[in-house]
Amino acid sequence: MTAALLHGRGASPGVAVAPAFVMAPRPRPEARSDAAPVDPAHEHERLDRALAQAIGQLEAVADRLSDAVGAEEAAIFTAHAAFAADPELAGMAHGSIDAGATAEDAVRDAFGAFRNLLSASADEYLAARAADLDDVAERVVGVLTGATRPVPTERCIVVAHDLAPSDTAELPRDLVAGVVCEAGSPTSHAAILARSLGIPAVVGARDVITRAPAGVVLAVDGRSGEVLVDPDEVDRDRYAKFAAAEAERRERLEALRDLPGQTADGVHVELAANVNDPGALDRALGAGAQGSGLVRTEFLFLDATDAPTVDDQVAYYRRVLDAFPGERVVFRTLDIGADKPVPFITRPPEENPALGVRGLRLGLAEPRLLRDQLRALLRAASPAGGPTATGRLAIMFPMVATTAEVDEARAILDEVAGEEGVDVAGVEVGVMVEVPAAALAADRLARRVDFLSIGTNDLLQYLFAADRLNPDVAGIPDVFDPDVLRLIGSVCRAAAAHGAWVGVCGEAAAEPRAAAAFVALGVTELSMTPNAVPDVKDKLRRHTGDELRAAADAALAAPDGTAARAAFKEALR
Amino acid sequence: MPSKTVTLTNPTGLHARPAAVFAKAAAAHPCAVTVAKGERTVNAKSVLSVLTLDCHQGDELTIATDGEGEDTALDELVALVESGIGE
Repeated sequence: MTAALLHGRGASPGVAVAPAFVMAPRPRPEARSDAAPVDPAHEHERLDRALAQAIGQLEAVADRLSDAVGAEEAAIFTAHAAFAADPELAGMAHGSIDAGATAEDAVRDAFGAFRNLLSASADEYLAARAADLDDVAERVVGVLTGATRPVPTERCIVVAHDLAPSDTAELPRDLVAGVVCEAGSPTSHAAILARSLGIPAVVGARDVITRAPAGVVLAVDGRSGEVLVDPDEVDRDRYAKFAAAEAERRERLEALRDLPGQTADGVHVELAANVNDPGALDRALGAGAQGSGLVRTEFLFLDATDAPTVDDQVAYYRRVLDAFPGERVVFRTLDIGADKPVPFITRPPEENPALGVRGLRLGLAEPRLLRDQLRALLRAASPAGGPTATGRLAIMFPMVATTAEVDEARAILDEVAGEEGVDVAGVEVGVMVEVPAAALAADRLARRVDFLSIGTNDLLQYLFAADRLNPDVAGIPDVFDPDVLRLIGSVCRAAAAHGAWVGVCGEAAAEPRAAAAFVALGVTELSMTPNAVPDVKDKLRRHTGDELRAAADAALAAPDGTAARAAFKEALR
Repeated sequence: MPSKTVTLTNPTGLHARPAAVFAKAAAAHPCAVTVAKGERTVNAKSVLSVLTLDCHQGDELTIATDGEGEDTALDELVALVESGIGE
């Protein structure tokens, strides 16, 4: 007998075979309880305690996710915690208790009132927040009633209609072999979380709950979206082979973890991790990254109501440096503009923030911020306790378009170093190449700095005048466009002529084939999301420098990006 | 009780991060802070209430403060909105 086959959409790669665990929706709030009269003082106290406990739980989830997968994934739970801490909501709930309600009913009333206001809006964003409010309300009522959802106690595939982000975040990672949802899309929050946690997932598998009762074995392929109900021997064998191949691949990558990044003929390539927030440090080390080619410092500033103090900054920068003893750690100075909110910088609104005062331009317009940041970086690199095993500080300026900006920034750095009594000769200084003018000026820039770091995301966006967040034009830029490759090659040659090195820190550095092409063109450092380091290392170690250069020559001769990518791939077969 | 009317300039209005930034900035002041759009006035320190105003680019908002440090608070919040709340 052939197993029943369901088709959903692959949302997180990997395969798993395990019994289904059907996760019922959270119990819907029950009808209003008109039972015994309540003691308002007691209910006020229960409400305060439950809200505080829910806030604590949500903040704990946010922390855990921030460490495990990054600040962006954690942000939704920070927002949920803010909802539970909302003063108007609490006031409304206490008002209901004064009018005779239980704490449970008061919570439902208050969240329900805000939910109705938000869901009445035609605005898609607000309507989505209404669903968030349900998630938070159910959590608070759950705390009050002591009711908890059943959670898996043995290895299983979780089957659900849909999973709220908090459901996914709280699943026991070691027991959940896979996830199958009836609803959802590969871009839904649950899917993104499953990917970050490395759990195979299929979404949009219609009727899976009725067709896969609890305990029935499921075989899930998170790449193809295939779900087999009660697979037979043949299918189980097939899935076992998939799983073995996947495990073998992981093992091979794991074995590379402590080996250096290099080509098959031993030419060293620095494989570094992008560090967006403290949570990335462990992932970077776990992935075997050598230092960081891009430490973003925005997170210190974006959620702050006041500018972070020099001391606050020193503490964070030192933590990052200490995570990479002996390795180079490239800190990018604050890269924000009118498209990101910082309450303590008041600047006139801009029609076109992408072309406005951002990156180093903002640093030069608000020199106090830049000076504080440079001061903090220099202090972090020279601990008062004398030399310790720490990372090697490098400083990088973003959004540079002209040599004058670099000269001005270096002068500020020299001045701050003078005030601090620090010799900056040992600190590498570089600039991002993300504005086309900077790529064209590579020769003049390289005379002034120790390194150039190509930010492929912005460089492509500006080269092709296509916003990568606008789906209608996002497909236009191609990093394999032969003339983009040629431009990167010319930046590398210009830098080499002045003894400067070239890195790449855009998303393309995480794509093994593009990373290999960059190395062929003369790039010696690649900085990427930590999870990508093993795959890129594996790719580079398979080919010699000559093989890579021959493949790059084939790509450069191709008529367009698609053909160039194909030619590069073909040449390395 | 000082108040001032400002036009919302940032593209996404008072949504998502701008709403949270605005409510957080309001909550940092000891005085009471309200924000009004049309007939509706809400507590500016409550991010949920601010969201329910459903403010979009071009909307006119009236911010009012009452209590300790009311002038400073009003100036700061008006400047925040005029700056586009960073957007």
